[in-house]
Amino acid sequence: MTRALIAEDEPILAATLAKTLQGLWPELEIVATAPNGLVAVELGLALRPDILFLDIRMPGQTGLEAAEELAERWEGPQAFPHIVFVTAFDDYAVEAFERAAVDYVLKPVSSGRLGKTVERLRGLVDAQRMPAVDVAGAESLGQLLGQLQALLPAAVATERLSVVRAAVGNVVRMIPVADVVYFQAVDKYVNVVTAESEALIRVPLKDLLPQLDPAQFRQVSRNMVVNMVCVTSAGRDDLGKVTLNLRGRTDKPRVSPVYAHLFRQM
Amino acid sequence: MSSSLSSYIPVPRSRLRRLVDDLPLAIVVGLLLGLVISLILGRRAGFFENLLVSVMIGIVAYTLVTGVRLLFWDHANWGWRQWAPFVLVVIGAAPVAHFVGLHLSGWMLGVPLPPLSSYPSDERFRLIAFTLIGTTLAVILGMYRDSLRRTRDEHAAARLRAEVVERQALQAQLRLMQAQIEPHMLFNTLANLQGLIALDPDRASEMLDQLIQYLRATLSVSRSETTTLEQEFAAMQAYLGLMGVRMGERLAYRLELPPDLRTARLPTMLLQPLVENAIVHGLEPKVEGGEVLVRASAVGDSIEIEVRDTGLGIRPGQVSSRRGGGVGVSTTRERLEVLYGARAAITLLPAEPQGTLARLTLPLEITA
Repeated sequence: MTRALIAEDEPILAATLAKTLQGLWPELEIVATAPNGLVAVELGLALRPDILFLDIRMPGQTGLEAAEELAERWEGPQAFPHIVFVTAFDDYAVEAFERAAVDYVLKPVSSGRLGKTVERLRGLVDAQRMPAVDVAGAESLGQLLGQLQALLPAAVATERLSVVRAAVGNVVRMIPVADVVYFQAVDKYVNVVTAESEALIRVPLKDLLPQLDPAQFRQVSRNMVVNMVCVTSAGRDDLGKVTLNLRGRTDKPRVSPVYAHLFRQM
Repeated sequence: MSSSLSSYIPVPRSRLRRLVDDLPLAIVVGLLLGLVISLILGRRAGFFENLLVSVMIGIVAYTLVTGVRLLFWDHANWGWRQWAPFVLVVIGAAPVAHFVGLHLSGWMLGVPLPPLSSYPSDERFRLIAFTLIGTTLAVILGMYRDSLRRTRDEHAAARLRAEVVERQALQAQLRLMQAQIEPHMLFNTLANLQGLIALDPDRASEMLDQLIQYLRATLSVSRSETTTLEQEFAAMQAYLGLMGVRMGERLAYRLELPPDLRTARLPTMLLQPLVENAIVHGLEPKVEGGEVLVRASAVGDSIEIEVRDTGLGIRPGQVSSRRGGGVGVSTTRERLEVLYGARAAITLLPAEPQGTLARLTLPLEITA
């Protein structure tokens, strides 16, 4: 039995999508409906559906962000769910979906258009059932995540930061950006980590990112930006996730599958 | 539009005013001619008496000619129909002006004057011819000045008219900017409607009513400049009703309009962007949702309208950003500035314990 999760903040739309899907695909089981992006991730991890219908504009976290977080936290042998984005008219999103060849449906959902999506999903699910293509399933996850990355909002170029000013006690420390090994988001703060020290600053990682040299500082997961000059090697841990060895550091941060391609051999 | 436009155009000066305005010109010409007569022709009588006579003749001639011109031919484009009688008036005015001017100054100086029967003499005919030359000179100067003045007035009027038109265009543009229906909102609402038709036809019909009312209020603003608080609150009721269906339990709302403010007039599209901001930036992105309160009250001779939400609140850097309250609030502020100057204001404050409070203050205008 194929299982699906719907993430949609407007209750009537969630009920309508569930009902239309049931008409088109009676064997599909809708395991749950998530009212926002945060719940969607938790339910996705707990219920392990085969298919995820994600609304783009949701409170808490957008559908794109939810997909990214889910991909990062997805573990175990089960293939990553097929994702179908659902959105009302939105020039930007639709254009991005077309470019990235991601599956999407527009609200109001026409049952004809949804029928085609269901047909394609059925084909994908059936193919996955055959053990021979299991590896291909993992491959397509990487592909989808690469596409997702293209959908996430691009950083806007602003002035480059050369020194980070961090308050430690009642002293403001001046940390040259070149000395930073990585920036890590911790709640509302960012931890600025060098070989010798750590300091918290009150700037969200999203705001910091555009101020860094994109060639040197790369995002490796949702909450971490690494200085590529400080990466000595990349390996795989017991769960098969990519981890980094950093100059001057003993901790080995994990790389999200979305960004694993940065550390593949040339 | 034409009535409001004409109030900007200056009222033309009255004829009497124009007559008096150019009188100094006649006096100057009279003085000059008096000087010429005394110095060049070497008249025997006293120098000052000569000047007085000359000025008096000038004033009378000017008043006659200009008075007739302003009374009968006061317009810009002259053909021979106007020129021919005017030349006759100028010629006829010369002896009359000479005679009247001479008697006036004689009366002023207390000098006995010759009776009318002995009035014609060679010398006096020469002086009458002189008066004619002076009058002609003054008339030409006066008409030249008039045409300059007319051109200047026309320029000023044209500039004013352009300013008014520009201001009205700006108003219309700002109003339109605020009246744009976000496609995302429209399609999501239609999606809900589509769903409700299958799930609950009665509620679908109710929602359709609200959508119609909202669209009517939003789309008709480009045609009208003002509305009443009652209409504006009805449009907000419809909008919040739509959002209530869409957001379900996440949205609660309340509208409070005192009965005596129902007919208060206000520009269209001032309130709606504030309420939409409260939803789009305050409550829609908040996981738990919350409440919107829209309230109008009279404070002295102003109306105060408050839109209070318990949403995410003003985040640092949001007000100036494009996504944030930015466009709505700054456009509203610009419109208020154009319409009322310092008599209106809009403020955006953090609400307690959470959310945003938008406060709009306007001059109170009640229509019967």
